[in-house]
Amino acid sequence: MRSLHAFAGFFLLVTAQAVWGEAVLKDVEINHDPATLRRGAETVTSVCMSCHSLKYLRYRDLLDVGFSRAEVEAMSMGNKMGDPLLAMTPADIAQQSYGRVPPDLSLMAKARTGGAAYIYSLLTGYYQDAAGQVDNHVFPGTAMPDMLGWSSADTQQRIEIETQSREAAAFLQWAADPRAAERKGLGYYVVGYLIVLTVLLYLVKRRVWARLH
Amino acid sequence: MAQRLIAWIDQRFPLTTFIKRELTDYPTPRNLSYWWNFGFLAGFILVIQIISGVFLAMHYKPDVNLAFDSVQHIMREVNYGWLIRYIHSTGASAFFAVIYIHMARTLYYGSYRAPRELMWWSGQVLLILLMASAFMGYLLPWGQMSFWGAQVITSLFGATPLIGDEVVLWLRGDFVVGDATLNRFFALHYLVPFFIVAMVIIHLVALHHVKSSNPSGINLADKDNIPFHPYFTAKDFFGLGVFLIIFCGFVFFAPEFFIEVANNVPADPLQTPPHIVPEWYFLPFYAILRAIPDTLGGVVAMGLSILIFAAMPFLDRSRIPGGARFRPFYRALFYIFLLDVLVLTYAGSQAPGGLVAGVDVVATVIYFAVFLVLPPLSVWEERWLRARGLPPALRDLLDSATEPEAKR
Amino acid sequence: MAEKDRVDETRRDFLLTTTGVVGAAGVAAACWPFISSMNPSLAVQGQANTEVDLSTVAPGVMTTVAWRGKPVFIVHRTPEEIAAMAATEGGKDPATDQSRVQEAQWLVVIGLCTHLGCVPNKTKAGWLCPCHGSVYDNSGRVLHGPAPRNLDVPPYHFVTQDKILIG
Repeated sequence: MRSLHAFAGFFLLVTAQAVWGEAVLKDVEINHDPATLRRGAETVTSVCMSCHSLKYLRYRDLLDVGFSRAEVEAMSMGNKMGDPLLAMTPADIAQQSYGRVPPDLSLMAKARTGGAAYIYSLLTGYYQDAAGQVDNHVFPGTAMPDMLGWSSADTQQRIEIETQSREAAAFLQWAADPRAAERKGLGYYVVGYLIVLTVLLYLVKRRVWARLH
Repeated sequence: MAQRLIAWIDQRFPLTTFIKRELTDYPTPRNLSYWWNFGFLAGFILVIQIISGVFLAMHYKPDVNLAFDSVQHIMREVNYGWLIRYIHSTGASAFFAVIYIHMARTLYYGSYRAPRELMWWSGQVLLILLMASAFMGYLLPWGQMSFWGAQVITSLFGATPLIGDEVVLWLRGDFVVGDATLNRFFALHYLVPFFIVAMVIIHLVALHHVKSSNPSGINLADKDNIPFHPYFTAKDFFGLGVFLIIFCGFVFFAPEFFIEVANNVPADPLQTPPHIVPEWYFLPFYAILRAIPDTLGGVVAMGLSILIFAAMPFLDRSRIPGGARFRPFYRALFYIFLLDVLVLTYAGSQAPGGLVAGVDVVATVIYFAVFLVLPPLSVWEERWLRARGLPPALRDLLDSATEPEAKR
Repeated sequence: MAEKDRVDETRRDFLLTTTGVVGAAGVAAACWPFISSMNPSLAVQGQANTEVDLSTVAPGVMTTVAWRGKPVFIVHRTPEEIAAMAATEGGKDPATDQSRVQEAQWLVVIGLCTHLGCVPNKTKAGWLCPCHGSVYDNSGRVLHGPAPRNLDVPPYHFVTQDKILIG
């Protein structure tokens, strides 16, 4: 199943629909334009990072999503440019409040089947059951509160939250694989070169073997 | 100047004669198809894996507290670290893909038969070394799949009669897979490739002694052999080009295709991921392990499923040359086996239980049945083919091959 | 017939040469990522700056900080020392004291002997290298011994009156 999804991703670019346990993830188009990533970074650093860390990212990495040096310095709140993005709540306090340390988000988009679609579906998967308890369709029993307020939002607010979730998912996907753009860019040259070389090698092979006939 | 240098060396070392005999003039059957490219490709991947592995080792830290972080350091901060790691992780899968095709070719064309038994067996040893290296290398990123894969596979040794627990403890150097295990797996993962290189040399020495087999399965007369260079150098390099396009397609555009999502979560000895599966290249054997309800029985069956290939030269009793090409029943058996392995691969990738468990058992029975059926079938098939009259193509080939001997 | 063969021969040579050149260029290019991976990583480059608070360093005292892993000597020189240094041009590698400092009371030099890279020890008059006996004055200028050059001055600038950024 996983390989099928990965294969689909290979051809159809970004995430279609994926299955996590029983819950069906929402079909979502994730944009990766600079403005989306920037807004996603703002959501993640201001909302998610109150409990979650992104320890494999450093503040200077945020320069790559289009923030200026001054903006990053303002976001870093006294941390150095080379420091990792740590959660605002210390791990032991989070442990006390939620029963476990909230997982690091640097690799979250690669660590769950569905990737960005999983994150989007999780953020917009909250609901209030008959007893008024908030739960999540994608991750039943999650200790994470409904930070964006999806379960109590009206239709108008939900449109905003959907956008916000999509942007956060896009940023986390970038965070999990910040070299993706560089990799693909280089990949076109490498594969292009290899096709030229292989055609040449085929011609050489044909010429050489022509001697035999 | 260069000529004088070569002459100086040649007086002391058979450089020119060696290259001439083993590479440029090396006689190779002209009818080799592209299925014969895969040995060269396997050698190429071995080199790629060693080079990329050495460079990864310069940045990797085999310590439970640092391993996962050091891989992220490689991916994010080392110059082109992402490229080197993706080459190495994709290379592992490419290695198995190429080796399995190489083995399938050997089986289809009967290349394991006399006088090439030692090539087949040295290849068998290479397969086992490759599996060991892949298994130990998979622990190194220290993700959830790394940890639980190693935990499960080392536990299998607990099935050893009488001293099972001690063996498992000794293998891990810890009560669970831990720092000691990670360190020794790193040391051994770096060591095993040296054995692989040595075994490849033995494999090649044997090859150059008995020469390549060919699709007809008959030792060809000298006129049908052509020098390796430039004919097969040209052909191998073209094949390499095609391989590299596919390989780089994965490395640059789908590098996570071969990496389980759970392996992007750091190892947690207190929580097993909901669904653990080995890498795709181990799936058929893993399925066989699971098909047997008894642990020891499962381990024995899994070991046997790999080792039984070594018996092929004895199991195949037919004297009809040409592998599957001229042997309809052997060919049918080959395709049944191939299909069965695919079914086992699928079964191994699924969560245990339910309908899959039944499929798994049936496919395992068929897997071993193929080997058991082969001796009587091959004897019967030969008799049947001779009674029916050999096909004209085969008769021609047999005639042309025996001709020089008749003249002698 | 012979003519045609010759044409084929040239064409094949051209084809072979082209393929060889293209292939060799690819192999050379493929080496680059591996060579490059041995250069300092972003993490190492990221620590290229060191900020030092000078307010805690009293006159006549030396403090050592690490910059890119190397020791950097920061000396708060007394007026007497400044005057003594301004009066000479050092020894082997003559330089004015003025050319070696930004603010006369702060001497900032890389603490590695220019001979073979040992860390010299502070003395009253400057430094003495324990490895091969090179002697430096309070401007970091080599007076005698095997060292060929004065102690190197790292790039730095004053962020504020009593804070410098090295690198």
